[in-house]
Amino acid sequence: MKPVLFLLLSFPLLGALLVSLIGRHLSRRAVETIACTAVAASFILALTAFLLSGQKAYSLTLARWFAAGSFQVGLDLYYDPLAAVMALMVTFVSSLVHLYSVGYMRYDNGYIRYFCFLNLFVFAMLVIVTAGNLVFLYLGWETVGLCSYALIGFWYEKPEAANAGAKAFVVTRLGDVAFGIAIAICWVTLGHLSVSGIHDSAAGIDASRAGIIGCFLFLAAIGKSAQLPLSVWLPDAMAGPTPVSALIHAATMVTAGVYLLMRFFPVIQASMPLMAVIACVGILTICFGALGALIQKDIKRILAYSTISQVGYMFLALGAGDVAGSLFHLIAHAFFKSLLFLGAGCIIQALHEEQDIFRMGGGLRQKMPQLFWLFLAGTAALGAFPLTAGFFSKDRILLAVFLQPQAGYKLLWVIASMAAMITPLYAFRLFIIVFFGKSQSPSGPAKASPTSVPDVMTRVLWPLAFFSVFLGFLNLPLNWAGKEWLAQYLAAVPGSAMELHASSKMESAMQLGSALLTIIMVIVACIYYGTRVESVETGTETLLSKMQALFRNGFYLDRLYQTRITAPYRAAAGLLWQKVDAGWLDAGLNQSARSFLTLAETLRLWTTGRVSRYVSMMVAGFALILCSLTLAWWYLLI
Amino acid sequence: MTIPFTHMLFLAILLFVMGAACAMTRKNLFLILIGVEVMLNAAGIAFVAAAMRWLDMNGQIMVLFVMTAAAAEIAVALALIICFQRQSGSTNADRLSLLKG
Repeated sequence: MKPVLFLLLSFPLLGALLVSLIGRHLSRRAVETIACTAVAASFILALTAFLLSGQKAYSLTLARWFAAGSFQVGLDLYYDPLAAVMALMVTFVSSLVHLYSVGYMRYDNGYIRYFCFLNLFVFAMLVIVTAGNLVFLYLGWETVGLCSYALIGFWYEKPEAANAGAKAFVVTRLGDVAFGIAIAICWVTLGHLSVSGIHDSAAGIDASRAGIIGCFLFLAAIGKSAQLPLSVWLPDAMAGPTPVSALIHAATMVTAGVYLLMRFFPVIQASMPLMAVIACVGILTICFGALGALIQKDIKRILAYSTISQVGYMFLALGAGDVAGSLFHLIAHAFFKSLLFLGAGCIIQALHEEQDIFRMGGGLRQKMPQLFWLFLAGTAALGAFPLTAGFFSKDRILLAVFLQPQAGYKLLWVIASMAAMITPLYAFRLFIIVFFGKSQSPSGPAKASPTSVPDVMTRVLWPLAFFSVFLGFLNLPLNWAGKEWLAQYLAAVPGSAMELHASSKMESAMQLGSALLTIIMVIVACIYYGTRVESVETGTETLLSKMQALFRNGFYLDRLYQTRITAPYRAAAGLLWQKVDAGWLDAGLNQSARSFLTLAETLRLWTTGRVSRYVSMMVAGFALILCSLTLAWWYLLI
Repeated sequence: MTIPFTHMLFLAILLFVMGAACAMTRKNLFLILIGVEVMLNAAGIAFVAAAMRWLDMNGQIMVLFVMTAAAAEIAVALALIICFQRQSGSTNADRLSLLKG
């Protein structure tokens, strides 16, 4: 097991090192081959580890990292079914995104930097997934943030990309600080940092202490997973290359926060108020993301808002104590969202970097028939169309929320069900306008007819589409004569052994209800967006247009941060710079330097250059010394 | 006949002041050097006088050291002056003003 896990981690790291150190001397094809091979090898090793592990949990130490007194940190790994499933998903999606990138970045000259950071990202993500102690996990956590920053700002010549990278880095940094505090509290109160140790001590921990640790872990997860109120960085992160958005900002990195909470779920479970808070943040984020996605025009921003919303479902599932359901949705979401993003990348490139769905001219169905079916698969899964992966995963979450005994969860269930009705609406709005819409934008006619994209870019979408549609059978509910394989597989993971005690009849009724609602909403979307011309901004302030503006601007959260946090901070920084630093400190130093200069100018007049003057001075000085000594002697004598 | 100690000290002081005045006021390097020599010898007279007054031979030995040092010093100083004279064609001390502030 140890060599397999070691190689699993080291292949992407080696790939990143090779590409960055000697990539300059290799051909473009060689760099692409190294990067793709490293990740593909990692996937094969993840598969090997998955097959070898057999539902057991392994705690290994690769090497000692550092030690300070009794505080010892090793490069520990902890591999259990949860990590196994995550590692499989991460390496599989990463491999496909790497292949896709070969096509997508074919004209870009920064490919060495690109593949280096993409490989490094996979390494860091695998560190998060398999880390056996909090400090090692933190290393992966920070490296993931670094790679995200570097890849969002990949086209750093564009100011909005550079700013978006900085914004993502700073906002997620707020969560990282909370993670650091959580590590410190763990060390002080629990006395160790290893994952298995924390699982063990979580059994006897009191609720308040668990609540404090869990609260900081939750804050860290909020930052990384773009939940309210730290969700503002994700829509802007779409300034990066589209494969990066697919891999980092949809499939893997944004789910790292969810994974962190799953990893330490025994601690979180110990505090009921915290669970309620997680569920509430989840439900707020679901509504926030869904309403935002309903009104955006930029295809990538629509997908970004829907990512925020879908990650909210994972948080909601955790808040309802259903780790398996959360992981199920995480996996399903990783597949259909990366499919949608990569498909969007194909469309954007075919249409010469056009991202506005109303300017895509519609009619893409005839021009890109293959992509039409692929995109349909992704949209159906996102919209939770019956029998797709999204349908089963979302239903399980709703069921888990419904089955919670507290009354508040019933309310959450109602809101979540209503938000689940919006999801097919925005998913099919996007699909219908892009593929069926006519050029109906007031902002000008569509651009030239689409060009073809490389074959590799559409080919890698097929496996993703396959899983988007059929992944539901991974965890088929019991009333479908399914075995709930994923939930069974995760049963050994601490904190995730949760039985959904629902009668088969009730489960069927809920599934039927949500299936009917989804189909109705899809039909509504088809009729509404298929026939209607997007309303032109007439300038009249109706309630509807106000609400549209509210949703389009993400509830003005950005503006709130801008006016309440950034602007005062900038003002304070300006004050400190101009008044305190330049006005007092610098001016004071300059003044004293100037006075020394004046003094020196005066003193140098003494150096006359005449020897006789020097001698006179010397004699006078000696005379003075002698006189004073004589006087002192005289005084002592008397 | 013995000369009183104070007389000898007065002689030394007189010589010292004369030497110092010479070194301070003259511009010719040779004359400045002569002034310095006079000051050194004034100090020597004071030493000898003190040796006689307290019958201590250390004072006389000190004079021998002073004379040796003065000889060495005058050799170096003369060499420097000749060098300077060759370069600039004069022995005027005021022309040694390269380090003027």
